[in-house]
Amino acid sequence: MPSIANGLRSNGAWAGAALVAAAAVAPLALNEYYQSFLLQVFLVIALAQAWNLISGMTGYVSFGHSAFFGLGAYAGALFLTWGFPWWLAVFHGAVVAAVLSLPLGMLTLRLRGPYFAIAMLGLNEIGRIVATLWVDLTNGGSGITLAPSLLPSLEMEYFTTLMLALGATLLVAFIHRNRFGLELRAIREDEEAAEMVGVNTTLNKVVAFVLSAVIPGAVGAVSVMYTSFINPNSAFAHTRNVEMIVVVLFGGSGTVWGPIVGAAIIMILREMLWAEFPEVHLALLGVLLVVVVLYLPGGIVSLARRDRRRRPDIAKAGETPP
Amino acid sequence: MKRRLLLSALLSFLIIFVISPVVGYAQDIVVGASVALTGKYARTGQEQLQGFQMWVDEVNARGGLLGRKVALKYYDDESKPETGAKLYEKLITDDKVDLLIGPYSSDVTMAASTVAEKYNFPMVSSGASATQIWERGYKNIFGLYTLAETYMNPILDFAKSKGLHKIALIYENTEFPRAIASGVKSKAKQLGMNVVFEEEYGKASTDFSSMIIKIKSKKPDMVIGGSYLPDSVAFMRQAKENRLYAKIFVFAVGPALPDFGKNLGLDAEGVMGNTMFESTLKLPGVKEFAEKYHAKYGHEPGYHAAGGYGAGQVLEAAVKKAGSLDHDKVRAALFSLDTVTTFGHFKVDSTGRQIGKTGYAVQWINGNREIILPPDAATAKPVYPFKDWGKR
Amino acid sequence: MELLEPDILLQLLIGGLLAGALYALLACGLNLVFGVMRVINLAHAELMLIGAFGSYVLYAAFGIHPLISLFLIVPVMFVAGYYFQRVLIERVVGRPMLDSLLATYGVAIILINIGLLVFTADFKSVPVLQGSFAIGDIPISEPRAVAGLISVALTVGVYLFLERTRLGKAIRAVSEHAQVASICGIDVRKIRMLAFGLASAMAAAAGVMLSVIYSFWPGSGIDFIQKCFAIIIIGGMGNFVGAFYGGVLLGVVESFVGAFVSTQWGEAMAYLLLVAVLLIRPTGLKGAARA
Repeated sequence: MPSIANGLRSNGAWAGAALVAAAAVAPLALNEYYQSFLLQVFLVIALAQAWNLISGMTGYVSFGHSAFFGLGAYAGALFLTWGFPWWLAVFHGAVVAAVLSLPLGMLTLRLRGPYFAIAMLGLNEIGRIVATLWVDLTNGGSGITLAPSLLPSLEMEYFTTLMLALGATLLVAFIHRNRFGLELRAIREDEEAAEMVGVNTTLNKVVAFVLSAVIPGAVGAVSVMYTSFINPNSAFAHTRNVEMIVVVLFGGSGTVWGPIVGAAIIMILREMLWAEFPEVHLALLGVLLVVVVLYLPGGIVSLARRDRRRRPDIAKAGETPP
Repeated sequence: MKRRLLLSALLSFLIIFVISPVVGYAQDIVVGASVALTGKYARTGQEQLQGFQMWVDEVNARGGLLGRKVALKYYDDESKPETGAKLYEKLITDDKVDLLIGPYSSDVTMAASTVAEKYNFPMVSSGASATQIWERGYKNIFGLYTLAETYMNPILDFAKSKGLHKIALIYENTEFPRAIASGVKSKAKQLGMNVVFEEEYGKASTDFSSMIIKIKSKKPDMVIGGSYLPDSVAFMRQAKENRLYAKIFVFAVGPALPDFGKNLGLDAEGVMGNTMFESTLKLPGVKEFAEKYHAKYGHEPGYHAAGGYGAGQVLEAAVKKAGSLDHDKVRAALFSLDTVTTFGHFKVDSTGRQIGKTGYAVQWINGNREIILPPDAATAKPVYPFKDWGKR
Repeated sequence: MELLEPDILLQLLIGGLLAGALYALLACGLNLVFGVMRVINLAHAELMLIGAFGSYVLYAAFGIHPLISLFLIVPVMFVAGYYFQRVLIERVVGRPMLDSLLATYGVAIILINIGLLVFTADFKSVPVLQGSFAIGDIPISEPRAVAGLISVALTVGVYLFLERTRLGKAIRAVSEHAQVASICGIDVRKIRMLAFGLASAMAAAAGVMLSVIYSFWPGSGIDFIQKCFAIIIIGGMGNFVGAFYGGVLLGVVESFVGAFVSTQWGEAMAYLLLVAVLLIRPTGLKGAARA
């Protein structure tokens, strides 16, 4: 087993490098519409990996991570309107999300499983409410439109999102293989036992939470520049939550490739359906969610392994994890 | 077994959808639009689309535009600005349409026009009126509607003439209603009237009872609502339940639609509203348009339908003037155009803002929507004051 | 300030109580499911909307008055819930609560979007009961009064059922300790199906009442489920009476905040309360939510 696992690992790295290279040269061959599509795929991958970090690896399943996307989106939009360059606005989005996630994380991570999920759901709504009612800052329900002159070009946006997706994936891969990741997985499996063997669960959880908030913050800021418009409903949209959850669970929660595979499939689905049949797209996501929870807890990635009822990143006694 | 089934199901699913038909619009001129077919603005969006579709049919019957047939490609923006923006991106970059018509409502138009500006693609908007849209220095958005800030002016003048001075002002928290509100506030100040109550409500709010009870305590003379259809209907219904009384009730958008009278029945009686077009207006082309619309859709056209139709006419005039579909030429034509369509006068200033169109005030009298202001266009005299709830 | 006049305050109070009765009916149903099978049903509000849309369809297509539809819809939804439990929910009973949360989240999304496909996102309502009657100087909205009183009656009815009847006691036994109940000879699986059916019926009834008061669309459920969570968490999860008082309290708070601050703030109260209680006093749930 170990040698096959090692082989898979390096194969995975080569495959990843090939994909990144292909993505880097794609703008030369594709028109604007397809570049936009890939851009959105990268955004979803980045979001999914972030969610993967706190929910898949650490076991704290969040139903409201879009809150950080929304925060980053507004932070980025405001920075742009205040005259800062776009890349600084992206940075600002990430920073605001990180700064706010620290106290929020410390409060929410005290809650167990489903209550954590509900609390995060509530936080997302609070984000939307604050954005709606703090009219002086956010222009409330009308939202903010960004003048085209403030925005970066499509190519710049494309590469930024590619970097974000790559960064998020590498982060997850890196954490997956080192001690931090091991401790997170220990927390997921049995938090009390982890405490007892000396894992600083609070520190680990909070770090994971903050990391999982920084990425959506940046993604939110970039996304705003791509759509050139933001309002409370679009920034804190539920559909984004649903996508994050389904992409990761369907792809393979807790793995590195899972979110990528999941994102690719879900985005293709979305692309075919969103303009003319948006409800069908979302309903399908709901179906996938139910199917995954009931029948395929390991996600698509686990189909490639022999034992699909087991999650790919859990070790059996006497076996090294992949 | 289970795993293989799942894989093959996925694969076949993907294959079926990848073989999506590519529709060839090669010879036709394609006009792209996103329309509010569902959601809060659905009724008005549908009316606008119908008006526009009538224009498309007629222009094709006349031989088309520049010798080619006109085809319409539209999607549902669900009354959401973010969806509208994405749809216009798709229309411009994927569907590669030749001409653009704007969506319904100022907030969706705010977002959509930004996309048009990004691609330097002129867009004719027949569904938006908030001045904000034209204060951003854009060069690609052309409006048909009278500006929202002026909507309530005739009725405020009328109220002043009756000696009223206490106003309760409520409005949705998006672009257009806010524009109406700001117009009301400045006009009220001018006239020396007092806004005794002001509150913004959310796009999805439908329960106004607490607000109504609060308004009651202020005892206003008139209630002005910067609203669309569902909220104005809900408000009037709840106003009746809570016995809120004022001498004048006036709302934006809602009362201009036949649905307002249908949904409220007797309770719509006496409610005022504003409009930019009525089929009873004595202007050229109005009667024919109204009759054709009625024959096709079964009811009188409101101003949203006429606006859609008028947008088509403006596009036609601009394209003919430009002699081509080239964006720059069409844009220049739109800026210099000074014409009268079935909807009314079209003339824009250097920002694309409409400066030629007039508005009217309507009131529901005896189950019909009558024009009451200005007096020279009126079909009935205003019924004043609003009849109290118990006496209907 | 003018708002502090007694009849204004009374109007706000009555309005809040009546709205709260509706919330209570809905929250008690959700609570029942949680108590009996430790499943958090995120699709509960959509069950309510099925009742609301059912009332709308019956009225729009056949002219049936909602109060009559109530007698048609409630039994149907009971049966539907009963079998739905067996087909889906039963599979997540016993698994970590998160699984039920995720699965029912999926179901909720499916239901919302089917609703959107069938009915679109336009607001619907059933405006049969209109206007108001007065008690002294205070106008009371007729639809709200009817809906509120029926909701209270139904909730009290279910409470009596749980307290006094043998079946009700069996349900409570399973809530307290399923294993022991099973040893005592109670068919636990059937009880779960019954409880879910009952909860679905309650939700549907709340939906019919909803259709008479408010305008709704397939997405209305998202607000209501959050209100239910707020109510249950404040009232104590699994505590039937707590959920009732919590619901009524929320209604009153919304009414007063809506008047004294603004409508939007009133609408935000449920979320604020939910997050505040969860974050600041998680032990307020008798230690249940603590990590």
